[in-house]
Amino acid sequence: MDLVDFARGPALKVAFVIFFIGVLWRLVNVLLLRHKRNLSEPRRSVGASVWGGLKAMGSRSWPHPEFIKRTITGEALGYSYHIGLFIVILLFAPHIIFFGSFIGIRWPALPNSVVTIFAVITVTLFVAVLFRRLAHPVLRRLSNFDDFFSWFVVALLLVSGLMATAHVGAPYPTILGLHILSFDLLLIWYPFGKLMHAFYIFPTRAVDGYLLTRKGAPS
Amino acid sequence: MARPELEPTIGELLDRQGVSRRSFVKYCTAMASLLALPPHAARAMAEQLRAARRPSVIYLSFQECTGCLESLTRSFAPTIENLIFNVVSLDYDDTLMAAAGSQAEAAREQAMRANYGKYLLVVDGAVPTGDGGVYHCAAGRTGLDILTDCAKGAAAIVCVGTCASFGGLPFADPNPTGARAISTLVPGKPVVNVSGCPPIPEVIAGTLLQYVTSGRVPDLDEHLRPTVFFGNSIHDRCYRRPFYDQGKFAKTFDDEGARNGWCLYELGCKGPTTYNACATIKWNNAVSFPIQSGHPCLGCAEPNFWDRGSFYSPIPSPRWGKAGEVSPVQAAAIAAGAAVAGAAIGVGSVLLGRRRIARHQQEPKSPSGKGNEE
Amino acid sequence: MTTLAQIPVCVEPVPVSHEEGTVGGGIGAILAEIAELLERLARTGEPGAIDLRSLPLSPADRAQLLQALGTGEVDARMQVNGESRIRETAVHGVWWTEHRDSSGELLATLIEVARVPDILIVGEDDLLRGASRLRASLTLQSAAQGESPHG
Repeated sequence: MDLVDFARGPALKVAFVIFFIGVLWRLVNVLLLRHKRNLSEPRRSVGASVWGGLKAMGSRSWPHPEFIKRTITGEALGYSYHIGLFIVILLFAPHIIFFGSFIGIRWPALPNSVVTIFAVITVTLFVAVLFRRLAHPVLRRLSNFDDFFSWFVVALLLVSGLMATAHVGAPYPTILGLHILSFDLLLIWYPFGKLMHAFYIFPTRAVDGYLLTRKGAPS
Repeated sequence: MARPELEPTIGELLDRQGVSRRSFVKYCTAMASLLALPPHAARAMAEQLRAARRPSVIYLSFQECTGCLESLTRSFAPTIENLIFNVVSLDYDDTLMAAAGSQAEAAREQAMRANYGKYLLVVDGAVPTGDGGVYHCAAGRTGLDILTDCAKGAAAIVCVGTCASFGGLPFADPNPTGARAISTLVPGKPVVNVSGCPPIPEVIAGTLLQYVTSGRVPDLDEHLRPTVFFGNSIHDRCYRRPFYDQGKFAKTFDDEGARNGWCLYELGCKGPTTYNACATIKWNNAVSFPIQSGHPCLGCAEPNFWDRGSFYSPIPSPRWGKAGEVSPVQAAAIAAGAAVAGAAIGVGSVLLGRRRIARHQQEPKSPSGKGNEE
Repeated sequence: MTTLAQIPVCVEPVPVSHEEGTVGGGIGAILAEIAELLERLARTGEPGAIDLRSLPLSPADRAQLLQALGTGEVDARMQVNGESRIRETAVHGVWWTEHRDSSGELLATLIEVARVPDILIVGEDDLLRGASRLRASLTLQSAAQGESPHG
């Protein structure tokens, strides 16, 4: 069995299983957290509070006007590379075949040259994000192994993907194998590190917004 | 027998036949073009080839379908008769030779004795090693025995076809005969793999010709294939490549994309992971090759091509288990199973945590215990 | 769609790309290389050649290239294991050479840059072989004459 067949065969299967076990484990853990009993009198109706929760998902994703000068760099960088990642992951023809084979449908792709341009921009932004994390005095103190390893796993995937497209470093099948292996690594690491934010981010904002509205605070 | 001393050079042979210089230069020009050598190399090749002596070639066939030899006989440049009469001295090939039985074996032994250490061994087919090698026997000997014997005095071994190069079909799972690639059975011998099912005839002939011309094994890739022919992937040299880059794909064999000649990647084309010369040399004297005829590349020149899932499942498809491509139902079942397991572990860990907190709260022994939530 | 005939067919021409290594590579680059080979021939006397098989040219590209080079003064045909045609183009010293096998299939197409393409020149061995053949026929003739003096 060569590298590609290993990466997209047994390694992918194991990674897939670990991913689902891990994600469910962590979701259940958070869902079953005991909340402090809410002793305050409900100020708003349940309906208004749910709406407040939904609003919080949007409003917390946007820079707060008061702090915009201080946060704009991080926000802009973060938004840009996330958009880049979504384009590269979801609109590249081979990726559509890959993800499509799990769910049984395929969707239109962007031309490879366009995807390649986005991938290069995303890698550049990724490097910028790392340097910012290292240079920023507060960010640096807040960062731990998790931050750097999660960055590394995604960067590995991006770089190996670009290398496969550009045919550099090694024969295409070898790089393709490494690319898929780095995806397997991402799947395995996903539930255990900060990549899990993709599952947490919106529900936690919604719950926060709901509770605050219920207590009468603006969400 | 004093044959080696008397063997004339190829040039002398051609002179005797009255072959003109022009004819020879034309032949070498065509060959150089085919071998993708720079045009000025044709003259050097002509000189080298005229000065070379025809090497003795012993051609052995094991677990194979004779498709490779069928392919070789359809070579346009050099033609098969040109190759076996002018370029090499084919001293044993049980399919092509007139002799049979003990006379054929005697011819082989005589050629091996006379050219010990200098003859070229060409092998076609994998060799079964299971159960003492009984699955291939000829002239009362096992294939393994014949190969070991013939390999001893060979200057180099050229494996023709995917079976000889990588095991091919006999090697495919579950490999009941214990078939193995030739390179794993002849330790220490220089091996050249000319893979393909079958290989392109000009690639087989060209590899032999290149060996005769240069007198040494050519540059090889990591699978021991001559880089001259196997240096580029089908995808890289494919005339449909621009459609791949533009994201124009045929989705089925009878849709508009297929009829417009778009890229066959989504129909399972293995061009990107297959290294061979089909897209440049093509077949039947450059008439066409599979992709030009509207069919995806099967990847027949690569190891284990038979065991890599369906020919029609695209390269990025996940491959789980022997059946190949994963179905959405299967994926959902595995995901659901893993999710249930994950949920169970999650609930279990939460319950354990709550028990621990409860115990902690029941025994308020240390004043510093903060009774942390969760 | 109901029948095959209802599927619209339009075979798209392979798009021209000027990136290196892709199909349809520019004619301009080849012409520039020929010019360079001509200058080298004039300077050092070293002939050059371009093998068209190694270039990913469509038949249309080939025709365009031939048209760009034009038709010159010499057009030689050689009957050697099939026909070969060696044409000088309108650019002196640039030859369009096509080798075919005995069944007329194209074996190689070259653009040669030389005073005279090498293949047209008679080899030393062939000269001597020709001379000895004439000598042999002469001695045969005189021997025949000597044998039958009575006619």
